[in-house]
Formats: sequence, C-alpha cells, structure tokens
Amino acid sequence: MPDKTLPKTDVVIIGGGWTGLTAAYELAHAGQRCVILERGDHRHDATSFAGPEEHDELKYALRYTHMMDVKQNTLTFRNSRDQRALPMRRLGSFLPGEGLGGAGIHWNGQIWRPLPSDLEMRSHYVDRYGSDVLPDDLSVQDWGVTYDELEPHLDFFEKICGAAGYAGNLNGESRDGGNVFEGPRRNDYPNPAMKQPISNTLFGKAADEMGLHPFPMPSANVTKAYENPYGAQLHPCTYCGFCERFGCGYFAKADPIICVYDRIKEHENFEIRFKSTVLRVEKSEDGKTATGVTYIDDQGREVFQPADTICMNAYALWNVHLMLVSGLGTPYDPETRTGTVGRNYSYQTIAAVDAFFDDEIITNPFMGAGAMGVVVDDFNGDNFDHTDLGFVGGGYIACKQYHGRPISYQPVPEGTPSWGREWKRAVRDNYLHHADMVIHGSSMSTPENYLDLDPTWKDAFGRPLMRMTFNFPENDRKMSEYVMNRTVEIARNMDNVTSVSSVNLAAPGKDYTIVPYQTTHNVGGAVIGTDPATSVVNRYGQMWEHHNVFVFGACLFPQNLGYNPTGPLMGLAYWTLDHLKNDYLGNPRPLMDA
Amino acid sequence: MIPTYSRRAVLNGLAATMAASLAPARHAFAQLDDRAFFFLADTQARLLASMCDTLIPKDDFPSASEAGVVDFIDLQLAGPYGQGEGLYLEGPFPEGSESQGYQLPFTPAELMRRGLNAFGEAEPGFADGEESRREDMLTRLSEDDVDLGDVPARAFFDELWQLTNQGYFADPIYGGNSDYAGWRMVGFPGAHAYYPSFVANHNVPYPQPPMGINHDPGGDGGLPRVTKRQEG
Repeated sequence: MPDKTLPKTDVVIIGGGWTGLTAAYELAHAGQRCVILERGDHRHDATSFAGPEEHDELKYALRYTHMMDVKQNTLTFRNSRDQRALPMRRLGSFLPGEGLGGAGIHWNGQIWRPLPSDLEMRSHYVDRYGSDVLPDDLSVQDWGVTYDELEPHLDFFEKICGAAGYAGNLNGESRDGGNVFEGPRRNDYPNPAMKQPISNTLFGKAADEMGLHPFPMPSANVTKAYENPYGAQLHPCTYCGFCERFGCGYFAKADPIICVYDRIKEHENFEIRFKSTVLRVEKSEDGKTATGVTYIDDQGREVFQPADTICMNAYALWNVHLMLVSGLGTPYDPETRTGTVGRNYSYQTIAAVDAFFDDEIITNPFMGAGAMGVVVDDFNGDNFDHTDLGFVGGGYIACKQYHGRPISYQPVPEGTPSWGREWKRAVRDNYLHHADMVIHGSSMSTPENYLDLDPTWKDAFGRPLMRMTFNFPENDRKMSEYVMNRTVEIARNMDNVTSVSSVNLAAPGKDYTIVPYQTTHNVGGAVIGTDPATSVVNRYGQMWEHHNVFVFGACLFPQNLGYNPTGPLMGLAYWTLDHLKNDYLGNPRPLMDA
Repeated sequence: MIPTYSRRAVLNGLAATMAASLAPARHAFAQLDDRAFFFLADTQARLLASMCDTLIPKDDFPSASEAGVVDFIDLQLAGPYGQGEGLYLEGPFPEGSESQGYQLPFTPAELMRRGLNAFGEAEPGFADGEESRREDMLTRLSEDDVDLGDVPARAFFDELWQLTNQGYFADPIYGGNSDYAGWRMVGFPGAHAYYPSFVANHNVPYPQPPMGINHDPGGDGGLPRVTKRQEG
C-alpha cells in the first residue's frame, strides 16, 4: 500500500525531458491537467549551465555531473544469451540524463529527419531488391507511420529548436548545397547554417570534387537571435566547444528547458514534481487500462498518483524497464520469439576516421559546436544501390568540429604509443592539425538483441535491473566497414593531409563493448507498428494492451536509422500528441483494432 | 601568493577553486617532505610520482608531477570520485568479459591504494630505474603481465593512466595542470570560450593565452606556439 494517495489528475507524465515537457505543453493547452514526475532536480540554463563554471571538462564530460546516477538505477549487460549479464557499474557507452530537461540538455543539437525509406524499411527494401535482401537474422520492420504523415511535425520541431541548415529538397525541388537525399520539406530551416572551420571546409571540398553531395549539418545550435513558436528567445551560438555533455548557458543550444519548460511552467494546468521516481505503472483489475503511477516522492514516501491518461516519457531504456517491472504489455521471449516488450532493442553503429594535416592547416579545434559539421549522406539509408553489397542500411559521414577539450581530444596518428615521451610529443604536434570524421550508421534489429529483467542485481528501489543483450549483427559490421572505407577515400583526397587512420567500433569479429562512449542513441524495446504481435504500441504511440498509456521516445524505433534520434522521436511525439488531443481524449478507446 | 596552501582546507569546504588556484606553481614531488597528502602515504606518493613521470615525462613542457598531477590524484582519490561516486558497487562480483567493463569490488581509491602497495612490493627499484626500464615495467603492467595479488594489473594501470592524463589537462582548480602546463602545450585557451567572430578565420592561430575557470591568466600574453614537427 502506498503511504499516500493523491487526487486524480487528467494526465500523469513520467519524465521531464524533451518529450515529457512537450506533452505537458500540448496537453495543458488542450485543457488537460498535467502532472510531470521527474526523478532528478530542477535546473536551468541561466543558473546551472553558465560559463566559465560550466566549461569544466573533468566535472561534466568525465565525471558525468549532468547524467543519471548508476547507484540509483543501472542495467546489466552481455553480448549474447550464453553469457551471464553483469552490471554496467559506471557510465560509458551511452549517457542518459537526469533532472529537468533530461538528456535533452546535454545533446549536441544534431537535428535530423528520417528518410522516407527509413520509415518503411522492410517494404522499401523488398520492393526495390526483392524478398531475399533482408537476411533471416534481422527483424527489421516498417514503422507504420510514413514520412508524409510526420513531415508537419518534424517541421514544427525544427521551429521549436530554431534549427540552422539549408534545405536540399524544398517541396520536391532539389537544391545544391543542401541534403539532396532528404525527403521533401515544406519549409526551409528557420535559421541559416552554421559557420564552418577549415577542417570541415576541406572535407566538403574533397567530397564535392569526388562527385558526392556535402552539406552543412542541420543544427539546433542556433545561428541568429530567434523566437520559437512557443515564444522562447534563443541567442546565436558562440562556438564555445562545450556542447555535448554540457548544458548551454548562452541560450544558444535548443533544449527542453528554455524551448518548452519556460513557456509552460506558469500554466494553470501544469505541475512538475522533482525528485520523484516512478516505481511502476498500476493497472486496472481487468488489465485493459492503467490507473496511475506509484512513485517515491522527494520526502521518500511512496505515493499513488491516479490519472486518466498515462504518458511514458522516460529515456528509451527506462520506459522499457518501467513496462517490465509494471507488467505492462507482454515481455519478449527470445526462445519462442513471442511477446513484444524488450523486443528489437538496437543501437547505433559508429566508426571514425582521423585525418592529420601539415602545419599550414590550423584548425583551432576548441572553437566548436555540437552540430558544426559538414555531412555526406550519399551512403546513408538506401541513398545508394545496395545490390550485391550484402547488407542493408547505411550511415552519414560527418566531418565535425565539436570540441577541443584537451583530456578527451588527443588525436595522434596511427602507430603512436599510447603514453610516454613519443605520445606526449604527438599530442602536442597534432592538436591543432586534425580533422575528425564519424560514420554514424544504422543499427538493424535482430531476434537476439533484446531487453528483459536481470535475475540477480537490483536498483536502489529494490527493483530488478534491466538486462541488455546486444551485439552488432553481421549486416551492420559490413555496412560500417563499407561506409568507413568510403570515408577514408574522402580523407585521403583532402588538401594538406599527411596521414589518415580509421577505427570501426563494429569491426567484424569485435564485440560491442559497454565501456567506451559511442552514442546515447539506445532505441527500440517498445516499438511502434501496425501488428500487435511485433509492436508494443500502435501507429499512434498508444499501447495495444492498455489504451490509456501513450509511449514516447526512441524506444519506439523498430530499428535504428543512420541519423541521430532526437528529430525523428520528436516528430513522432507531436504526431502522437496530435492524435491524443484530437481523437483520443474526446472518446478514450483503442485507436486501432488489434 | 598564499604560502600556507593546505590540501585539507580544500576538502573541508574552503572553495576548491580559490585554494588550488592560489597555490604557486611548483614541483609537487618536492613538497612531499613538509606537507601531508590527503589520501596518499608518502611512499605511495613517491612511487606514484615516478610512475606518472614515466607516462608523461619532462620535455619542453613539465612532467606530470611537475604539473601537479600527484596533487590532483591525491585530491581525486580523497574526494567523491575516489570514494566511488558514480560507481555501482552492489555484489556479487563475478568476472566478466572485457566488453562488460569494470567489475571489481573496489572504489578508485581502494584500487589505487592496493595497486600502489602491490606494485611497490613487486617492483621495489622502480622509482630509481632508468626511463627505459620504467617504461618496460609500465608496459608490462598495461599488458597484465605483473602479479599484483587481488588487483588486476591492467585495471590498476588503466586507472593510473586515466588519472594522470586528467591531472595534466583538467582545469587547474583541481590541483594539476599547474601554470596551464597541459593547455599551453597543445594550445587550448581554456574555459572563457567565446569564438563567434573567430571560428571562420581559417588557419589563424588564436591570440589568447589560456585562462581557467578561476580567471587566473596564463602565459605571457604572447601568441601561442604554432607547432612545428620535430626534424626526422
């Protein structure tokens, strides 16, 4: 029994990040009384993220002061079912957030749209290449929602962020200098693209000379003074080089606090409770709906908050964990390949290429921004012919200059010892003369990569930890190798380059490891779709088995595309909220027949 | 300058920023005889200094210990990081694969204390050895080729190297990177970062010396060194 049961609210929202605050904004304005439960503290760009204090690499980038606390909740990890999963004892491969704004305050601001074909992945590939193109060990599927349906919502989120870029496909018109592979957009970006340093410029020049199609990375690091549709004021980016892993005290990186929270916090239908960890979602007796959530409040009391509608807006992994510990939906069983909660967990396939310049090129790497990059999208998605390549999917190639923070940014040419006299000299010689390229690749779902509950370890609240079973499928290893080799070709064609090296974190024969940082792009586990046998939520983000529970975030992705997830998941969030407000609330029911 | 800089004052709540920043640039190792460390015993500190200086030796720029790295590590181990903040330490502790990451039951402070003691016993002549001999020993340590009892050599080495590197390049408020040794070496201007009018100036050296969070100017105000590669 809870220590306390509160009066019922219309909507309870689990998590105060991008999707949770946006849900509150939209639903509060639709007349719904909203309560957000956020496990972390209040914080604000103005008071918590200001330089120079914020520009502390050790504290924020390496001691993870803005991130979640693994002592409270972590997960266990193994590469395959025949291993024993062990706790992720410290953060590494990915960095989920905690506190107001969630991980949305420490993102880089790389704001992407999915390709139309990304959202119809299985049917697109089968249509173009025939049914043999997808290997049996991939559980790739369509999202159940199309690019045309999401476009107005992707467009709106770009306006919320004041996104900076240059359209490559404006209402079907292809434009040089933008991403000519993107789906048609009804509007150009609200702000002009970012400035570019010499490193990215030389990459773009080489790519262009090779007949590829370089363009400036779309950026939520704003380039001009800007007011978003909610009335938030954003300022131009200062290229300070403290973006990813840091909050932005300049009001220049769009984040959920300044773009959404500040515009809803005074609303009469809005309430947020901090230091409030949701333990589980409670179900009705017949199990067809949820009745509310039980949480630990800031006094340590166990509180039941009843609600008519439950929005699950925790980070992708923790939404799935909450479903598993609450008995929401049906857990996935890899033996029988039945059940859906935890199914189709996937990640992001990352490789990197380093180019070293002679002394004529001075890059000043500390002048950076999270989304200051030049990108080639020719090898992403199905933008290139996959016939006889032996894999599906792809990735973008970006030359980025996002920081020169000297503990983490120590590029040295291949063959340099990893410490000692020669290493020291190499760090000194190359710091100002290096270009950083990333291959940011898709990640296909498989029946053997999934999330469930661990039998041994518990979190600080006595709940079983979630167990992650994941390794890169062969498909993705081949894809990553292929796109990395294309990147090496570009790097070798760049002016003033003296040496090139590369590393593929998903190289053939190399296990995924939870230790080095890769990306905070954990996706899947509660995927969207049109078939209850292979999805947790229907195409509106509504749980098949509990119609008053709506699910948000990257846990919805049936497999991961080659882009960063924030743009696509926010497009989905606005799509879900549109149907929730305009269809569901007036007549609560399953929005699709199972 | 305040000559009575005390590590204890830093930990007792006097703003770390103030205390560490006002400490004169100095050779940490030379301070051992008249000043207690917070965490390290003197014998551990001496061994640690020689290990750090093998990892980051003196050249045109200071060695690790000259840049305050021993002080940095001492403070880190005595503080929240060393005591296990951000580290899930619930048992059991079965051995795992490399891909599963750190699985020892030790906080960083425990790992370093055990590691230094065991390494000191296993390699008693380390601190007095020639650089090439010290390099060989640390290479063996990094390859798990030294028996340190219940401390895996590689885990100890990894912690040692991470802390050493951090100490050389972290903001000086943490006690290392004295006189911006690490930042001057690479040309990093520091925490006061504002480049909207400079970022698109291609191939132009940035004309500001380093400055850390505490606003303590570094260097002589001249242009940073534009690196020239060594001949041969």
